[in-house]
Amino acid sequence: MTRWRYFARRLVLSIPILIFGTTATFWIIRAGPIDPAAAIIGPDGDQQAYQRIRDQLGLDEPLWQQYIDYMVGMFTGDFGQSWVLNPDTSTIVLLQQYAPRTMWLGFWSVLIALFIGIPLGFYAGLNPNSWSDYVASFGGIVWRAMPNFWLAVILVSLLSQSQQLFGFSWQEWIVNVNVVTAPPLDNLGDPQELLRAIKWTLPAAIVLGSSSMGNEMRIGRTAVLETKNSNYVEAAKARGIPGRSLVWKHVFRNALVPLVPIITGEAFLLIGGSVLVETVFAINGLGYLFFDATINGDLPLVGTLMFVFILLIVIINIVQDLMYTLIDPRVGYEGGDS
Amino acid sequence: MATTVETTFRERLTRQPGPATKWLGVLLVLVALQFGAVMQTIMSTVPWGTIGGALPATAPWAALAGVGDALADLPTLLARDVIPNQGYQVPGEGWQGTFMGLSPAAAWGIRVSLVYLYSFGFVGWLGYGYLVFRRHYRAADWTPYDDMLGRLDGHRWGQFGLVVVLMFIVMALFAPTLGPTTVQSNIAEPFSHELQYFDENAGEVTTILVGEANLQSVSKGGGGRNVGPMQYDRYDRFHPFGTLPSGKDLFTFMVAGARVSLFIGLLYISLAAGLAVVLALVTAYYKGLADLTVVIAGDSVQALPQLLVLILLSFVLSDTWIAGIYNGGLLLALIFAITGWPYLWRAVRGPALQVSNEEWIDAAKSFGQRPVTTMRKHMLPYVVGYLLIYASLSLGGAIIGVAGLSFLGLGVNPPTPEWGRAVSAGQPYVATASWHISLIPGIMVVIIVTAFNALGDGIRDAVDPQSEAGSNEVAAGGGGA
Repeated sequence: MTRWRYFARRLVLSIPILIFGTTATFWIIRAGPIDPAAAIIGPDGDQQAYQRIRDQLGLDEPLWQQYIDYMVGMFTGDFGQSWVLNPDTSTIVLLQQYAPRTMWLGFWSVLIALFIGIPLGFYAGLNPNSWSDYVASFGGIVWRAMPNFWLAVILVSLLSQSQQLFGFSWQEWIVNVNVVTAPPLDNLGDPQELLRAIKWTLPAAIVLGSSSMGNEMRIGRTAVLETKNSNYVEAAKARGIPGRSLVWKHVFRNALVPLVPIITGEAFLLIGGSVLVETVFAINGLGYLFFDATINGDLPLVGTLMFVFILLIVIINIVQDLMYTLIDPRVGYEGGDS
Repeated sequence: MATTVETTFRERLTRQPGPATKWLGVLLVLVALQFGAVMQTIMSTVPWGTIGGALPATAPWAALAGVGDALADLPTLLARDVIPNQGYQVPGEGWQGTFMGLSPAAAWGIRVSLVYLYSFGFVGWLGYGYLVFRRHYRAADWTPYDDMLGRLDGHRWGQFGLVVVLMFIVMALFAPTLGPTTVQSNIAEPFSHELQYFDENAGEVTTILVGEANLQSVSKGGGGRNVGPMQYDRYDRFHPFGTLPSGKDLFTFMVAGARVSLFIGLLYISLAAGLAVVLALVTAYYKGLADLTVVIAGDSVQALPQLLVLILLSFVLSDTWIAGIYNGGLLLALIFAITGWPYLWRAVRGPALQVSNEEWIDAAKSFGQRPVTTMRKHMLPYVVGYLLIYASLSLGGAIIGVAGLSFLGLGVNPPTPEWGRAVSAGQPYVATASWHISLIPGIMVVIIVTAFNALGDGIRDAVDPQSEAGSNEVAAGGGGA
């Protein structure tokens, strides 16, 4: 099978996945006991208004009719309007308002995890069974086991009272920032503002990236250990290739292969973890929006967010498999692990 | 002793009854210490009334029931009332109402140590039993499991995990005994229970409602409004982990929460692992369309962000009857199982496919063995080890997930103790004198999740020493909580 046929097959296989995910979301939110009309008018709306809203939203139509409308809407890009949180606003507009903050947070959490986790893992792998290896490995294991929400709670408290606790003010260090809430992102061209936005989002990004960081460290360490003892590295060593180029050209490049799924797998953690981290850090991003929409029974918004998340995960999965075949041509297209 | 002649287990047992008798003797001692509790369980869980009604109402039965009830009342070593730790201090007279007049802290410490000694004694007895069986009564001289256990023998990291996991399980099992007070009297219905303390102003022993006393022992930062770890409150109650902002005992809350977490985790794992193993075996055996269907189904479920589905479902179903069962625990376990099985299935699919290509499977097929028998006898034993690895890893993930949900106010219904709710309650007080409320539950989660991971590593190295740290173990269960 050529690369393109493999790609086409992946695309075809992703269609039932999308349909399943959207269907599941519909049934969870519409067939469940939530009454959207009651959620919209609140506890003290009168019967007439209630009925009018039900008619307006088409809630009295048969469920299968609503289902078909919903599916057609989702797949043709007509996501509908928010019902409760921001009535009469298109859900896509809301998404566009909230997404940048989450993307900024997600970007830095991936980056921090990559630039701390992988070097630490590689370092530990190059110096196995030394004290620094033990410290790094143990740190990675504990770091991985920490619940995001707990880490966030602790970090928020420590940083916001850093002046009283450590005599060092995190808020005033280098640039003035808040510990909670999202940084303003409209003026990133200005270096001062950029630095401020980065520092502002740093604690939340560290928390969100924590478990990936631990994973990357662990896998990176194992990968380096395995590559280091492989035949081609032995052969390169025998050919007299100097240490530095041996490590960079032969060990690291091959050790990166098993890290690919970890890095793309971060997407799952980011999407799920953003709810808790954004709640604790009071960042009004997508995760926060999802939680808010859920507990307020804003069904179109929940549906749209779910659809976008599922789409994102499907795309990332396909990209991951393609990257795999590019990096490591030995990975078969027939692949047992599709 | 190994024999070349085929013998039954019973024959081997009668030939050499010594080791087995010794082993059973230890059991007798262990049961005797807890005899009352065993009888109590028998008397309260078996519907004796219905059984008795079906039998002719003659005197011996009634007498027997009386004996049973009497036995259930026998003191047991590990009961709260044998080593009571709740008492009060009268100046000049020492502690009243506690075990041998010791301080509540000491009495509680003795009870906790005894519970753990007993439990590890019991585990040791089980392990010893296996060794006795292996040395004296097993037909085969050697099985592959011996090598696996042998590899676990030198695996300190895995052993650390096992010990901590066992401690966690004991904590959950003996939750009512371990707490310095009970959930019922301190957390669920504090205003229906009373306690006695020595009132210094009145100069006499006074009675007060537990709820009133709780209000005077809250942990809300500093300024006299804090009861920290290993401290007494003003009613002479001992709090090993301090109190919650509501004045309730954090340790009692934690041990009860351990029970809830463990129940949800174990139920989730048994459901998901059962589904995963059945699907993996069936797809590996039949391949083709069956495999493709399950691949798509698994991918579809995995494409749903697990934590978001958990949030959504536990909110949507929070007012339904199913959320009322075990305070929402059953519902959570079900949602975890529905969203989590593909992770476990992916983990065992590879080994299942691998073993399905072996010659002996072909051989079994060709002489007409039924597929179910082939799967059970020739494929399952190979897959189970891998399942255990990922079950252990996912259990840690589930504990984080449950805590994360209850942190958001979803999942397990209040006032049922859940660790995440303690973290949430202590959130405003992290950087104050009442740091213990958020910090201790979080550290406990870290330790227990690390232990489950370590146990998983240990099992992996035992089952498959050549394997590397797997890559798809990521987020098996927690989904980023």
